[in-house]
Amino acid sequence: MTAQLTLAHYMTVAGLLFLIGIFGALTRRNIIGILMSIELMFNAANINLAAFDRFLHPGGVTGQALALFVMTVAAAEIVVGLALLLAIYRGTDTVYAEDFNLLKG
Amino acid sequence: MIEHAYLIPLIPFAASLIMLFGAKEDPHSPAPWIGIGAMAICLGLSLSILAAVAGGTIPMPYEHNWPWFSFAASIGGKAFLYEMPIGVLIDGPAAVLLVVVTLVSLMVQLYSIAYMHEDKRYKRYFAFVSFFTASMLGLVVSSNILVGFMSWELMGLSSYLLIGFWFEKDGPTEAQKKAFMTTKLGDSGLYLALLFIFAKVGSFQITQIHQFINNGYMTPTVATVIAIGILFGAMGKSAQFPLFIWLPDAMEGPTPGSALIHAATMVAAGIFVVARLYFVFLASPDAMLAAAWIGCATAFLAAAMALVSYDIKRVLAFSTVSQLGFMMCALGVGGYTAGLFHLTTHAFFKALLFLGAGSVIHSVHTNDMRLMGGLSKKMPVTFLTMGAAILAIAGIPFTSGYYSKDMILANIYYVNQPIFWIMLFTALMTAFYMSRLFILTFLGDDRDHEKHHHAHESPFLMTGPLVLLAFLALVSGFMLDRNGLVYRLLEKPSIAAVQAPATVDAHAPAPADAHPVPAAPAPVEHAAAVAHAQGEHHEGHLPHWLHLALPVFVLGAMGFAFLLYKGPRFAIADGLKSTFAPVFHVLDRRWFLDDAFDLLVVLCDKVAAAAYWVDANVVDRVFVDGWGLLTRIVAEISNLIDALFVDRTVDGFGGLSMDVGVGLRGLVKEGQVQEYLMYVAIAFSLAATLILTR
Repeated sequence: MTAQLTLAHYMTVAGLLFLIGIFGALTRRNIIGILMSIELMFNAANINLAAFDRFLHPGGVTGQALALFVMTVAAAEIVVGLALLLAIYRGTDTVYAEDFNLLKG
Repeated sequence: MIEHAYLIPLIPFAASLIMLFGAKEDPHSPAPWIGIGAMAICLGLSLSILAAVAGGTIPMPYEHNWPWFSFAASIGGKAFLYEMPIGVLIDGPAAVLLVVVTLVSLMVQLYSIAYMHEDKRYKRYFAFVSFFTASMLGLVVSSNILVGFMSWELMGLSSYLLIGFWFEKDGPTEAQKKAFMTTKLGDSGLYLALLFIFAKVGSFQITQIHQFINNGYMTPTVATVIAIGILFGAMGKSAQFPLFIWLPDAMEGPTPGSALIHAATMVAAGIFVVARLYFVFLASPDAMLAAAWIGCATAFLAAAMALVSYDIKRVLAFSTVSQLGFMMCALGVGGYTAGLFHLTTHAFFKALLFLGAGSVIHSVHTNDMRLMGGLSKKMPVTFLTMGAAILAIAGIPFTSGYYSKDMILANIYYVNQPIFWIMLFTALMTAFYMSRLFILTFLGDDRDHEKHHHAHESPFLMTGPLVLLAFLALVSGFMLDRNGLVYRLLEKPSIAAVQAPATVDAHAPAPADAHPVPAAPAPVEHAAAVAHAQGEHHEGHLPHWLHLALPVFVLGAMGFAFLLYKGPRFAIADGLKSTFAPVFHVLDRRWFLDDAFDLLVVLCDKVAAAAYWVDANVVDRVFVDGWGLLTRIVAEISNLIDALFVDRTVDGFGGLSMDVGVGLRGLVKEGQVQEYLMYVAIAFSLAATLILTR
């Protein structure tokens, strides 16, 4: 017996992926880890976009196109993030998030 | 010529404007001849109209209207354009009065040429006289009582100007103010009557009001209210009791001006308006009775005052008031014809008396009869013409006054006996005081030799009018008597007979309440029946013995006057005066009516002062200021509540949220980006939960 894949399945996977991303972003000490977790959350969103497009507008490609844009933006964002990280590391010799409190207002 | 009747008031009006603004002031100015020429044209027009009317070639009353102005109005939600006509209405009395007014005015102006020749405001005087006459003529010809009322007020204005003509002196200015205000008091009544008429009838056209009443639409109550208002106006203008106080003071003006006021214009206007709107009075027996009694009181009181006055013009003024009382009384008892008849004859002999008195004053330069005497030889023409006037006003048989007064008394006799006996006595008093005036002025010896020596007969321009008026005063009675030509012109407007529809151009609306009032016809018919019955009487004569005895009584009164005032000392008169000193005092003070009016004015002043005090101290202080104070107190309390409770609450919420914010910030370890993210995640998930589970 083969179970038919439904929207709920995709959403479950995406939800789990998102939660993992959140968890990672909140708990990782290493900024690189945090950036990776953020990438996970992007991917969760991408899964949703593709799934909604597939199930709600069959035949359309809008969702998939949007997902591609998101990936592009994510890649750009990672580039900027890693560049910042490199600058921080050169200045402070650390990559742990708890060591920074420059956002203190 | 009757189609040009509208020119009659317009020509003297234009003449007065030309004289006032176009001519230079100069003692030898030819300007007065403009006014005289205008008046002569008017006299010609009036005579031709009278001839046409008397000849019966024109259906009476002749009316012609032109559109005047219009305004939007609505009655009962129905909007329409109300059109007010302006026009002329000539009936018998109007035709007669036109001739009388223009004739007397012409005589007065001719006379004034000589009388006023030394005055520095020579042409202004003539402009005023023309304006005065124009106003009166406007009232006489107008078919619209609104225009009539305007003329009436213009007449008030011109009487003001003429009485105070010598305004450098105090007497004339006081007199003009008194005359103006007293007549205005009466005018307010007439004004209210006009408003009432318009509200009820929806028209100011005399013929339409007449028809409205003929159709029985007006209840006696409404008719009484309107008639009393008209009567009030006539009381002011025609110097009836108690508003006659202005007339004796009006003597301060130039004497020919007084002649005009007393004979042709002002005082005739009141009687004429009552006669013109007589159908209103016929619809209201109460108003008729009021008019009769007011006329009776006026005649008696004024005649009594004339008995003791030594000022020649004052005596004539009182006699005018008294004769006007006769007219009003005649109208009040239904003697429409008799009243208008007397108005006509009185105009002639009273103008004559005033012009004669003016001639005397011009000659001796005093008004005091005690300083005259024996002027008959010095001024024979004045003496003879004045004599004619005295005979006429006293009622010696076959003069004009005899016929008119006899007719008035005959009318009163069959309607109201008490009034008849008072009026009979008044007629005898009239004969007495006029003889007294005549004797004191012209007969006996000269009492002031200086004045007597300088006395001289007046120039021809003054004696000419006197002679013509004397002729009229003697013979106008024949022309106007019962069988005379003009008599039927003065017939009463019948209230019972419904007229043929008047030739009115106006598209006047049907009056708002133009439906027969169920209760109305009976009383109106009753009034008509009474009027008709009175109409029967006035065809009748006095009882035969009275008719014959009346001249004897009159001669007796005149003989009594001669007995009292013959010789240089008047011993009997002085004896009577000391015996009845209180009576003389009352008469000398004019029945204290002036004092009564003074008191009234003072009382009004006091009441006004009291009202002012109440306003300043009670209304302003308690209500206005008190209200302000109360408002301020309430505002203070409100402010306090605001500050204590409302503002505190607002501030409290602000402080609370600040405290909460500060407290919450204490929970966060500062600068840790992951903690921030955690709170964002928590808040987001909470919000999402709230929204999704709603």
